[in-house]
Amino acid sequence: MNKMDSAVPGEQNVSYRQIGKPRTRIDSPGKVFGKTPYAGDYVMPNMLHAKVLRSKLPSARMTRLDVSKARDLPGVACVLTYKDLKIGTVATDIPAQTGFRRRDTDQQILVDEIVRYQGEPIALVAAESVEIAEHALSLIEVELEPVPGVYDVFEAQKPDAPKVFGDDNIVASYKVRKGDVEAGFAAAETIVENTFRTQYIEHAFLEPEVGLGWEDEQGVINIRTSTQAVETFRYIADAIGIPHSKVRIRGALVGGGFGGKCDVTVELYIALLTLKTGRPVRLGYTREDSFYGHGKRHPFIISHKTGFAKDGRITASKIDITSESGPYAFMSPYVLMYATEAGPGPYLVDNVHIDSRSVATNNMYTSAFRGFGATQACIAYEQQMDEAAKVLGMDPIELRRINLLKTGDAIATGFEVQSAVWTEECMDRAWAALGEKPKDEGAIRYGHGIAAYQQGYGRMIWLHDTAEGWVGVEMDGTVVVRSGMTDIGAGQTSSLAQIAGELLGVDMMDITVYNSDSSTTPLAGTSSATRGLYMSGNAVRNAATAVRNRLAARAAQHFGVADSDIDFADSRVFVASDREKSLPFKELIATCASEGIHRSELAIFRAPFGDWIDPETGQGQVHPDYTYGAHAVQVAVDTETGEVTILKSVGAHDVGQCVNIAAVEGQIEGGVAQGHGYALSEELIYKDGCLVTPSLSEYLCPTSMDSPRIECIILESRSGLGPFGAKGIGEPGHTPAASAVANAVADAIGARVHDFPLTPEKIARAVSATRDNG
Amino acid sequence: MTNVKTRQLSVNGVKRTVDAPANETLLETLRRIGAVEVKCGCEKGDCGACAVLLDGEAVDSCLTLTGTVGERAITTVKGLGGAENPHPLQTAFADLGAAQCGYCTPGMIIATQSLLTNDTDTPDEADIRLALSGNLCRCTGYTKIYDAVLDGARAMREAEAAK
Amino acid sequence: MYANFDLLVPDELDQALTMIGGAKTAEDCAPLGGGTNLVVDMRASGKAPAALVSVARLPGLRGITIAEGTVTLGAATTVSDLLRDPRMLEVGAAMVDGSRVFAGQMVRNTATVAGNICCGSPAADLVPPLLALGASVTLRSAGGERTVPLDEYFTGYKTSVRRPDELLTSISWPVPAENSASRFYKLGRRKGDAITMVGVSVLVGMKDGVCSEVRIALGAVGPCVFRAKTAETVLKGKAPSPELVEQAARKAMEEAAPIDDVRATGAYRKQQVQVLVRRLLNQTIESLS
Ligand SMILES: Cc1cc2nc3c(=O)[nH]c(=O)nc-3n(C[C@H](O)[C@H](O)[C@H](O)COP(=O)(O)OP(=O)(O)OC[C@H]3O[C@@H](n4cnc5c(N)ncnc54)[C@H](O)[C@@H]3O)c2cc1C
Ligand code: FES
Ligand code: FES
Repeated sequence: MNKMDSAVPGEQNVSYRQIGKPRTRIDSPGKVFGKTPYAGDYVMPNMLHAKVLRSKLPSARMTRLDVSKARDLPGVACVLTYKDLKIGTVATDIPAQTGFRRRDTDQQILVDEIVRYQGEPIALVAAESVEIAEHALSLIEVELEPVPGVYDVFEAQKPDAPKVFGDDNIVASYKVRKGDVEAGFAAAETIVENTFRTQYIEHAFLEPEVGLGWEDEQGVINIRTSTQAVETFRYIADAIGIPHSKVRIRGALVGGGFGGKCDVTVELYIALLTLKTGRPVRLGYTREDSFYGHGKRHPFIISHKTGFAKDGRITASKIDITSESGPYAFMSPYVLMYATEAGPGPYLVDNVHIDSRSVATNNMYTSAFRGFGATQACIAYEQQMDEAAKVLGMDPIELRRINLLKTGDAIATGFEVQSAVWTEECMDRAWAALGEKPKDEGAIRYGHGIAAYQQGYGRMIWLHDTAEGWVGVEMDGTVVVRSGMTDIGAGQTSSLAQIAGELLGVDMMDITVYNSDSSTTPLAGTSSATRGLYMSGNAVRNAATAVRNRLAARAAQHFGVADSDIDFADSRVFVASDREKSLPFKELIATCASEGIHRSELAIFRAPFGDWIDPETGQGQVHPDYTYGAHAVQVAVDTETGEVTILKSVGAHDVGQCVNIAAVEGQIEGGVAQGHGYALSEELIYKDGCLVTPSLSEYLCPTSMDSPRIECIILESRSGLGPFGAKGIGEPGHTPAASAVANAVADAIGARVHDFPLTPEKIARAVSATRDNG
Repeated sequence: MTNVKTRQLSVNGVKRTVDAPANETLLETLRRIGAVEVKCGCEKGDCGACAVLLDGEAVDSCLTLTGTVGERAITTVKGLGGAENPHPLQTAFADLGAAQCGYCTPGMIIATQSLLTNDTDTPDEADIRLALSGNLCRCTGYTKIYDAVLDGARAMREAEAAK
Repeated sequence: MYANFDLLVPDELDQALTMIGGAKTAEDCAPLGGGTNLVVDMRASGKAPAALVSVARLPGLRGITIAEGTVTLGAATTVSDLLRDPRMLEVGAAMVDGSRVFAGQMVRNTATVAGNICCGSPAADLVPPLLALGASVTLRSAGGERTVPLDEYFTGYKTSVRRPDELLTSISWPVPAENSASRFYKLGRRKGDAITMVGVSVLVGMKDGVCSEVRIALGAVGPCVFRAKTAETVLKGKAPSPELVEQAARKAMEEAAPIDDVRATGAYRKQQVQVLVRRLLNQTIESLS
């Protein structure tokens, strides 16, 4: 099932003891035994229960807000409205390490006059029980007067459109100008034009947002919460008007994030209520709250005009990208940047012209979601490639092969990729894994689809990303790792244990990882942007290496050999050239301790730093590096009902180096299933700004009945910037999956549905349209 | 909170006396008395995170009123086994990477146990996919869960045969 | 939040009938089966009947008996019970089809057949098969018992002939004649745990080369599940042919009156009635020849 490859010049001979091995993750036992406490499982004596009152309208003016009846209800400890806030706004930017923040994009915490989206919080209640808090919500008197809103990105750009953001509703816009597109089109034999649309998507992490706050003996507001980012403590402190050092975010193992737990949600309300009442406050979102209460994945409209030479080479690519940001900025500018950078896909195109913009509306605000805009870009460029192949009469695989980027080639922004680019091999292997296409039978037609991709990992280099990590050895030879990184279920903490264990020769099960505490674990940044393993893995590797070097020096002295001759394994220290000579690890530690040799290290890892790309040409470096791969899908389509069955789904990716194979496969498989849902069934439907699908029976994630076994083909070029040559895979596994499904469906029915999701109804309609046209 | 009645519940073999209002669900009761391994993902029967066994049959505790449980034995994932006496399904889920964020895991294991005891102890992939379609997992893509169920079921049959 | 209510858990059916006996409306007192509809509805609406009478575990109300040419399901028989009984394939294959695509395991383990009928949803998945099989329901109150053909049970969207003081106690249908076959197909937006966009069930019995029995039931394309009787008459008593099947399918489509909602447009639903009726008729007829 899994094919492991590791053929890389220079590194073939390196063999690891724990890295890359199929080890049980350190977080698994707690999870299967039901022992892992999630953020929602913590309670405290004297704790209050909070609830949020939300606007039912998407665009309105609040003409009256009277909370007196709610305040008077016995059991209600506190009701907060905008009038009670010291500071009315909170940042919506990435909680980056530099402290940089776009001030102009702050969001109101509670509605003071204008409601900009349905679900916008109006008041917070803390009470002795959830029931009382809910009752109190019903006693709050709110009058909202509807104000004309705008719910369409094109309407929003018209001069007379209602203004939701700034004076033109443009949240961000970018340009890429590379080469000369007009010359490129002039040289083209064939020009292919298409427009593709994607929908609003919900993260649907299984654990809704939840947290518990309390004030400690130093007056610090502590918040135990389910988050992808403990660094939000700074924004929370700013928003409630206390020093940064007085807010502490403590994570827990997170019940899924996918980008949806990066932004501040419950933790801010908890902080406000805890500060006000002086009592512990718990706020747990219901599923419905979660639908209304956090930013969604951006819908995109992407138009491609691509010129092809006779042999299939791309001569020019003109791309127009519009994303919908909703009323607040959040991650929209960055997500748009990713989509822009990824615009033409993993292909070498000399002449590129991209215009992109993110547009404000009164639909739900949008923010981070696995892939961060690169996924939507892929949905467009990979469908465009298949459409082009059809027009050109070429095999879609061959058309791609001719155009694929290689190491050293310049991507759209002119940056020349330095790491391995194994897209071609991934594509061929994924495609081959599909085998023969079955013969059509009656109304059932079979289709094969491929999608290749390019996905940056790590942060955009002008964000000057860093991560810290601490490694120390206990007196009994067990190891402690401290990292601020959050663990959102992808095995983040376990990978850190594996890395430290590899370097110190201690089994990962003998390693304890303290993580995601903003005041006691060294800050490492968010678990997002496929930066977790890359950044924190490197930080921990640096720390463990420093400790190892000091211990090795002392051991070398003991054995009378060179430092480089010392090896650590199985909790022992060896002389590598004479393995008879060895010592229990803990004896070495005891010696070091008695001699005052430092057994721990706090290290920092700095990603490459750089400047913004050129604003006029979009040329420059955006990401430190990129992951490449491809996904292939076999579907059966019932051409009468329009139902799609995914029969085979194969992801082939160059992950650089696997740290934990099961975790890598898990990232790919999970990302793929989300891609299946993206293509076929998932859709948040807003009708004039109002959500009509606020439950998991209306918002349709794939179930097991919808999910075939997913196959992973993992290649290891060891060329990445992560620890041991790893590349990021958290997002990339997901990036091409939806496009591959769309291409397979189009292959099956001989027609394309340009608007996601490909519902049975749309597919049936597309089939009858082809019939009607002959 | 009206209509509160004192009720006896058997949770993982331990008798518990609880005061539960008529409109309280078993999910709310269990979490209130500390059985927080039973997870809440939707309170509408859509996700399966709250699944528990009632006399060996998996139900969504969020749809079950506590007052209707009666003397039936309630089993949560903790009742199946622990570090000292792991249940074969727990071992398989851990070893094969079937738990990522782990939030769906208690419900998945409960639903699987119900499948294996009430429907078939030799499930094929189609049986598994049918049996788990009420348990959403947003992290794993289900592949490793199918593997874990197949492996756990095999281990259970072997253990049974060895008796 | 759940509204308050009184929860009554009788030990015997008679007790239950007495408890519900005073109910003038469903707001006074309602039976609680598996709760998979009722509990969700109460949460969504914040409203509840003043009292609920739990009937899911009453002795004698759960189980499948096949005797004297009749299949009888106790009202509290669950969807999983149907799947676990191998005889169901023989005596009601369409019910097995319906049960397999019904919700997820935990709901199937809890949801009762009576609850599926009494919730009155046009998308209830066991109702088209039951209509196709020609089922009747038994309604019982403290005052007595009556049997109503399921075909005459529903009167409109979530309305029926059942009085608030009556319990549905059993469902029965004649064991299908030899050389007959039944099927159900559910068209959903996804394959697992989906709400039905269109549900179609058919039963065809063949005798001497003609369709001696034809029943076609349609779900989610009208205010309640109903039989497409004009379509049935197209085939009834005739030797089946592709033309007649097509004609029946078209008639069924004309009888469907679906609405637009988030799952699909009415136009698509209508078209799918034709597709599915044609398909199921062909499948059943083919399986018989
Ligand atoms: C996640 C989920 C998925 C679902 N999927 C499906 C599906 O795929 N297909 C489908 O058809 N349904 C589905 N349902 C709906 C529901 O499960 C079914 O309708 C089920 O059969 C209801 O049975 P119950 O015993 O739970 O009914 P309850 O919820 O207990 O009751 C439903 C109604 O029937 C009344 N009632 C119950 N028993 C009796 C009786 N004996 N006499 C008189 N009245 C009675 C109640 O008063 C109530 O009005 C789903 C529900 C959920 C939560
Ligand atoms: S919480 Fe019970 S099914 Fe989701
Ligand atoms: S492991 Fe996260 S939902 Fe299943």
